[in-house]
Amino acid sequence: MEDETFDTDLIHAIFKHIWTKRYLERERNGGNDALDSEQVGAGTSKKNRPTSANAHALKLSCELLRVFIAEAVGRAATIAEAEGVSKIEATHLERILPQLLLDF
Amino acid sequence: MEGDGNEIDAERYEEDESVTDILRDRFRLSTISIAETQAKKHGMQISEPIIACISELAFKYTAHRNEHVASTLRSFYDDLKAKEPQSERKRKKASKNKDKATTSAVQFPDL
Repeated sequence: MEDETFDTDLIHAIFKHIWTKRYLERERNGGNDALDSEQVGAGTSKKNRPTSANAHALKLSCELLRVFIAEAVGRAATIAEAEGVSKIEATHLERILPQLLLDF
Repeated sequence: MEGDGNEIDAERYEEDESVTDILRDRFRLSTISIAETQAKKHGMQISEPIIACISELAFKYTAHRNEHVASTLRSFYDDLKAKEPQSERKRKKASKNKDKATTSAVQFPDL
């Protein structure tokens, strides 16, 4: 059975949402300066080209997120098992979080 | 004029928030199924707040990671673009010199 994972369209939508947000923020803060510094030497046709990600990059991002969640649950489960309980609680997650965030 | 700008900003902010909420909810649904499958594999149960917590963390991680990768790629792109016209000019100059006089020193573009 194949592992459950994220929908690439969903991840793409999240990425696009963040890109748009950042673009608007930069535009608001620095006027055209931010845009110009970003497009140094670029041709005029590329001036307003939106950021994009190809299918492989999206698939990889989905996999990275799946592994992140799987690791979080897996490591918390190991702690819970060591304590002899069968339910993962907040304390178990708390104990694995520092190393998890360092690893990703 | 300024009032109009603020209104547009407020509208845009609200719209933005609602889109974020929808995306976050869809993301959470996927996280729930992944986390439950994983917990089952380990023969464990997982409480609902923990899944919500992991989901929120992963969602923020997506935004943070994405921003970081995007800024790295952008600066890499800027570097390449800044170098490109210069090397092209040098290449043209070098070929011109070659045509003019074969006895003079040949200029190689810096790598």
